[in-house]
Amino acid sequence: MTADDRAPRPVALITGASRGLGATLARFLAAEGYRLVLNARGPGGLDAVARGLVGPNVIVRTVPGDVRDPSTRDSLSEAVRELGRLDLLVNNASDLGPTPLPPLTECAPDALASVLEVNVLAPLALVQGLLPILKSSRGEVINISSDAAVGGYPGWGAYGSSKAALDLISLTLAHELADAGVSVVSVDPGDMRTAMHQAAYPGEDISDRPLPEATLPFWAWLLNQDSARASGHRFRAQAERWEVPAQ
Amino acid sequence: MNDASLPAVRIGAGADRPPEEREIARDHVRLLLSDLLGETHARFDHLAGILRSGDLLVVNESETLPASLPASGEPGEFVVNLSTPYGPNLWVAEPRWDAAHPGPLPVGAGDLVRVGGVRCTIVSEFPGIPRLVFLRSEEDLREVMRSQGQPIRYGYAARAFPLSAYQTAFARVPGSAEMPSAGRPFTGRLLDRLARGGVRVAPVVLHAGVSSLEVGDSGPGSVPVFPEPFEVPAATANTIGDTRASGGRVIAVGTTVVRALESAVDSCGEIREARGFTRLYLNPGRPIRSVDGLLTGFHDARSTHLALLASFFGSERVERAYEVAARTGYLWHEFGDSHLILRGSAGPADERDSPAS
Repeated sequence: MTADDRAPRPVALITGASRGLGATLARFLAAEGYRLVLNARGPGGLDAVARGLVGPNVIVRTVPGDVRDPSTRDSLSEAVRELGRLDLLVNNASDLGPTPLPPLTECAPDALASVLEVNVLAPLALVQGLLPILKSSRGEVINISSDAAVGGYPGWGAYGSSKAALDLISLTLAHELADAGVSVVSVDPGDMRTAMHQAAYPGEDISDRPLPEATLPFWAWLLNQDSARASGHRFRAQAERWEVPAQ
Repeated sequence: MNDASLPAVRIGAGADRPPEEREIARDHVRLLLSDLLGETHARFDHLAGILRSGDLLVVNESETLPASLPASGEPGEFVVNLSTPYGPNLWVAEPRWDAAHPGPLPVGAGDLVRVGGVRCTIVSEFPGIPRLVFLRSEEDLREVMRSQGQPIRYGYAARAFPLSAYQTAFARVPGSAEMPSAGRPFTGRLLDRLARGGVRVAPVVLHAGVSSLEVGDSGPGSVPVFPEPFEVPAATANTIGDTRASGGRVIAVGTTVVRALESAVDSCGEIREARGFTRLYLNPGRPIRSVDGLLTGFHDARSTHLALLASFFGSERVERAYEVAARTGYLWHEFGDSHLILRGSAGPADERDSPAS
């Protein structure tokens, strides 16, 4: 009668899910029937997102904590294991670094290290820790990138270089994990009206940028592509065309 | 997006039934020819005399689905028009009261509804177009369409017509919610005459979603980007290249074809093989380079349609052609008359054909 009686419902883990793109994705996937493990640094916003989810028999676990912290990642792994599978790992939590965005020549090494920890090391550590269950579920890893990864925009050096590193990690993992049935893609969601984007432009009006919901058709499209064929590709959610190139 | 430069067009009378039901053969609907010299009146099958040997018609092979399904749920009985398939069980859809009454219906994310008896969940509103929703079904709705689906129609249609009235001679790949109607007047006999005259035909696919004319929510300044699945085969890309190289004209049969071709233009300006979803919005700020002519119908002031026409041959010429069409009784909508727009002039005196000196 219900979806629960059939194949086990898919499971998605989303980091940085208390607001912005992460929260938008959580709402969409819950209504799509995914069971969710959600993470964000603070518990308040995360619980509000979890309480607001609607869908057929919502199942959600919240794991507050910093993704840099190994104990947070262990708790996330534990929550995933309890649900028995992992179809989607969305590495969305990101650190913009110091704001207003300093030129790279004035960016403190410690600040850059912190950005790299959140945006590069933590996503890789999550993949490493969740690899067995990703393999057994033939899961997909989605690493959230940015046009700053390729743009060389003044002020965006710390964030951009971290996303460039994450892009290469995505591509490398895609090759390394192809035989294991795990796919890895990188997604530049485009400019969006989010707290992070506002932090990059303090005091500026960013109301001309679309809300994160504008990217939902892209996610609906991506999640219905053959993930093995999509693996290793970098997508732009607000591009004029979404295409999985012929192999 | 700024649509300040969109044409303000005059709207003519609508066709409320297919020409066959008005004692007119499909290929005998009227044809307005707009070229550099102005407007000329003709009949659709005169195309065989207007097009020249070496010209290429690019057609949309998308087949119309019986995409309107009976539905029920908290609001009572209603219909769900399926617009665009994202996966076997995930569609963009429009819940409506019926053909003439769009709603909006009091439904939202998380709600359960039955569509053709199948359990479905409304996943979310479609961004920017709240009357459309993402719909997750527990079974393949294409199966349900086979037994319960009707072609989508709107209030201006006199009554329900069979699905065959909504298919073109080119229909081969099921997937459009609404008929790619520019191809409708083509018949086998006309295609034979065109072929004998040296006019070639090459296919693309673009599955057209719902247009919902009377809702008018894509007004100036708020044109939402509506992604549609498309495919431009390698053979078609090659044929277009050959046509251009030999001085022939590339004529798109329908704005859907223009959207597909423009979505397949690479960074060098060449059309190449492409397949995916397109979000391209063609407007006067984004000129069309892929075609020399466009065969289309007359449509209400849907800004996406008019923006594309204006992009192709300028707002002033669109306004002039629509003024002529409305004044001289051309019929609007998918069962109406046709409009051939040529970038240059129709005759053999076209400067494109002059040998380079």
